[in-house]
Amino acid sequence: MLPTELLSHRQNGEEIIPKRLKIDDKNQALATELINCFQAAMGKTQGVLERQLLDLEGDATDYRVKRGLAYIIKSNFCTFEVVSPLEPPMLRERVFTLAARSVPSKESTQVTLTQVADQLSQELEREVLLEQVRDGLYADLTENKILTDFNAPTPVDILNRYNLSQVQGIFYKASQLILNAHRNVPGEYKLLFRYLKLFQLMAYIEGDADHGFTITVDGPTSLFNPSTRYGLAIAKLIPALLHVTKWSLSATLQTRDVYTNTWKTGRFTLNSECGLVSHYSKGKPYDSMLEASFADKWDALKTDWTLEREVDLLPIPGSVMIPDFRLVHPDGRSFLLEIVGYWRPEYLQKKFSQVRRSGCDNLILAISERLNLEKAGVKLNNVPARIVWFKDKLLPKAVLTVID
Amino acid sequence: MARTPTLTFDRGTLILHPPPRGKAWMDYATWDDRVEKFRIPAIRYRSLVEALQAEDVYFIDEAKEFYPVDLVPSLEMEPYPHQSEALAAWKLAGRQGVVVLPTAAGKTYLAQMAMQSTPRTTLIVVPTLDLMHQWYAHLEAAFPDAEVGLLGGGSRDRTAILVATYDSAAIHAETLGNLYALIIFDECHHLPTDFGRVIAEYAIAPYRLGLSATPERTDGKHADLNILIGPEVYRKRAEDLAGKALAEHEIIQIKVKLSQLERERYNELIQTRNDFLRQSKISLGSIQGWQMFVQMSARSQAGRRAMLAHREAKEIALGTDGKLRILADLLAEHFPARILIFTADNATVYSISQQLLIPAITHQTPVKERHEILTKFREGEYNTLVASHVLNEGVDVPAASVAIILSGTGSTREYIQRLGRVLRKGNIENKQAILYEVVAEDTSEERTSARRRGEKRAGGAGEAEGAGGAGDAGEAGEAGGERKKPGNLQVVYGRGKGRSDKAAEQLEINYSTQNKKSQIKNSDVTDRVTESSPKRRRNHPKETED
Repeated sequence: MLPTELLSHRQNGEEIIPKRLKIDDKNQALATELINCFQAAMGKTQGVLERQLLDLEGDATDYRVKRGLAYIIKSNFCTFEVVSPLEPPMLRERVFTLAARSVPSKESTQVTLTQVADQLSQELEREVLLEQVRDGLYADLTENKILTDFNAPTPVDILNRYNLSQVQGIFYKASQLILNAHRNVPGEYKLLFRYLKLFQLMAYIEGDADHGFTITVDGPTSLFNPSTRYGLAIAKLIPALLHVTKWSLSATLQTRDVYTNTWKTGRFTLNSECGLVSHYSKGKPYDSMLEASFADKWDALKTDWTLEREVDLLPIPGSVMIPDFRLVHPDGRSFLLEIVGYWRPEYLQKKFSQVRRSGCDNLILAISERLNLEKAGVKLNNVPARIVWFKDKLLPKAVLTVID
Repeated sequence: MARTPTLTFDRGTLILHPPPRGKAWMDYATWDDRVEKFRIPAIRYRSLVEALQAEDVYFIDEAKEFYPVDLVPSLEMEPYPHQSEALAAWKLAGRQGVVVLPTAAGKTYLAQMAMQSTPRTTLIVVPTLDLMHQWYAHLEAAFPDAEVGLLGGGSRDRTAILVATYDSAAIHAETLGNLYALIIFDECHHLPTDFGRVIAEYAIAPYRLGLSATPERTDGKHADLNILIGPEVYRKRAEDLAGKALAEHEIIQIKVKLSQLERERYNELIQTRNDFLRQSKISLGSIQGWQMFVQMSARSQAGRRAMLAHREAKEIALGTDGKLRILADLLAEHFPARILIFTADNATVYSISQQLLIPAITHQTPVKERHEILTKFREGEYNTLVASHVLNEGVDVPAASVAIILSGTGSTREYIQRLGRVLRKGNIENKQAILYEVVAEDTSEERTSARRRGEKRAGGAGEAEGAGGAGDAGEAGEAGGERKKPGNLQVVYGRGKGRSDKAAEQLEINYSTQNKKSQIKNSDVTDRVTESSPKRRRNHPKETED
């Protein structure tokens, strides 16, 4: 993501349009130029690199684009390290302690550095040069760190990252996000909800599987007044959302008018046709080997029931439950299937409490016989679901018997 | 059977469920559809609990995770009268409120007294890493048996007593909110920003103490301190404490001429900039003008060139070689007195540090190392320190007797805070502190300094600001002649001692002129800023200095 000062957007009436670079020859050439600049700076200091980037900016007016691209390369593909034969903090302590005994001047600086170099040569029993002491003194400053590794991306990678970052930047000012998740396969909702949880966001979910869901995202304190406190977390959610097949969103933005010093409310919309490219990994398609083997076996089976993966969100107060599979019959019947494998007691308690609260009447729970539910404090008598027990592997036939 | 109402903490808010009987709690609660429960802002915890208790409503409090701690002090001193009075006033106000005391009036010890009298888990928030370490060192010494930890600068402790920076505390506000019974906000004027205020808002802490020498903010948000911490419960000005805790000081301004080459380049650059500004009809005298200049520099090549010229000119004015020569000269003159050098930018800090082998402190200095450097400076192993903005606020270096400001920034608060560093009396009797301000002659920087000191023009000696009435203009003429420096230095000193004191006086033009005497000696400028009109400062934004 980009810092605020490198964000650019224009406004068309109420609509905010973040700057996006076309993936064309001109921009690819620009990205290539920057990549080459980094490549050439391998083994050199960050200070040297920064000066070369500044030269590249020249006095042209597109410096913010160049700076933004360079920022993305620097923060995602580069490693800078302290390179010095002597520990900088140790050098500083020795040099400054010795220097404090005489009046500071350029002449006494030479004398002090020579003395420290001599002392170190004796102690370490190898020759330490005055220049090594002088250069090592601040080798750990950011500008003196050495570019030791550059994992060169392609020009297209960088342009994609830049465009995504510009769009994410719009959300820094978001107080709320309303997401319409349409029904689709495969949904990858799990990834989205994992990130919701990770970023401490709240989601209020309405809707059903056939019409899609409306997910309102904000934070606990948003109830009392609109706050952009969760904006950054919302921005980080966007790359996860890009993995979901079909969606549209509308964000409420709070912007401060610098002239009147008042807050204004704006809106920003985006949908799955936006053409942005996510750099988050897709997440594992299956949560466990158990699920993977079950899905494989189902495909080999001859039945009218089709197996959909992670398609339904079961809204429950303050959260959502995403069953592992949905079984759909051409005649319109459908069931949800949740496989309960090997888990800690707390997880099980939560899971069964979720099931109870969901009020869902077409749920199948496949439970491993190895689980000691009684010990975990889980009672099955008031669970509104059909239950299939299994030992090591869950067989599709066992599931079919409870629904047919 | 109805379940018992339970109060829980959720990321900066409280949830009260199931709803209790009575109705006092309804004033605080809002129905939250998202969880189908009542939610309450964390900051209202104390009022809510008091309201429930008043109605004798039974509820379970699962929100609070703060607890009593044993705070046996090993460090006890006879408090100054103002410290005892401030503590009493704060307790009387229900342990919620702001205490305003000038720099060096012993706010840390007051805080320690507040902690002893409220022995519960405590969070202390401070603006800088240096202050964080200073507090840490003090609390470790004061309460050797207590668990003291740090949040910020790489540390992430969760201890009964926690010292945190405003930034880190704001980032972790959602999880810190219910762990501390007492929150102490050091330099509490930092709290009412959009980013920082959540530390107070997301916390249930029933006890809150704000400390500041200058709570007033130019944006007027200090009014929010009433809600976030509590009302102002005690205030003392520097004059009230003068001679007891503060040292006398003297301010000397030194003007440095640019070298022939620098001067030519400077004029050329300013010409480039000004030509563009004139053509574009931009005046840099206002915030809008500066914003326009920034916008134009992103749109046209000529604008971009003008901006680059502006920057380079500023760099020349800030970093002229002449300043380094003056610096070496001043260091030689005062050797081995303890000297602090301030510059506006890190590049100059490191250039001085490397050329003259003086220990440096900037935001890049590792936390542990800056602690060591400050300790060695205090103990006398180092006698000089060069720093950028990091030492501006509240860092306790009483050993320093000389401060040299190499380049100004036009920020009044900063200027005063810097002064405060050398104004500390420490253990030295009759300490006379000296503050040098080294500015490049006839550059825009000089005008900033003049403006800061309340003059209309650099050359306008003793020219009193009309409206506010800085007073004392009559004494300007009596100032002694220029102090000559030996050697080949191109130095033009300020207008001597008497005049220099006035320079500090003129910081606050609205200050009452009735008490002329006390303004000249023992003057604590830090307190003055509280008297000055925010409007005036807004007339002199620092936009041209960026």
